[in-house]
Amino acid sequence: MMIKVEFRKDNIIVSGHANYKEYGNDIVCASVSSIIYTTINGILNINKEAIKFTDNDILEINILSNDEITIKLINNMLELLKDLERQYPKNIIVKEK
Amino acid sequence: MLFIKLNIQRFAHKKGQSSTDNGRDSRGRRLGAKLSDGQTCTAGAIIYRQRGTKIYPGNNVGMGKDHTLFSKIDGIVKYERAGKDKKKVSVYEAK
Repeated sequence: MMIKVEFRKDNIIVSGHANYKEYGNDIVCASVSSIIYTTINGILNINKEAIKFTDNDILEINILSNDEITIKLINNMLELLKDLERQYPKNIIVKEK
Repeated sequence: MLFIKLNIQRFAHKKGQSSTDNGRDSRGRRLGAKLSDGQTCTAGAIIYRQRGTKIYPGNNVGMGKDHTLFSKIDGIVKYERAGKDKKKVSVYEAK
């Protein structure tokens, strides 16, 4: 089991568990969460209509606007998560569909 | 609520959400006695299924390669002692 991040044209799905360390000490999970949450709240702070998210079993982000800032922040998130994947390939996988 | 609430262990494995690699078992092999003491049997009848020689073959009883004990003649099954602490099973012709 690992974190699975699926980037599609206009939505992103994040599911699974990092399983790097036990709950409370899982730094991979903390990094992934921080990157994603910063991006979500950052975009919403700039443009409340740019994305919609649902945070249940899986975290899903729907991209509603293609404005430059939203796309740049989303791509920045993608690059950071891919960086994490290179460092922790057993704990996170990033797929672009 | 517009913004997402920060939880930096959102994708960590919670206690109790355990997934274990155990949880497998093989089917019961139905070992043990198939014929009891005093029962009549025909030649070739299986008397006892076992792993290893819990019970040894006695008179007129053969043992397969999986240590199954079977009768060599038609007769009556007899469980007997074999030495101090062992058991054997024999088949004697019916009188």
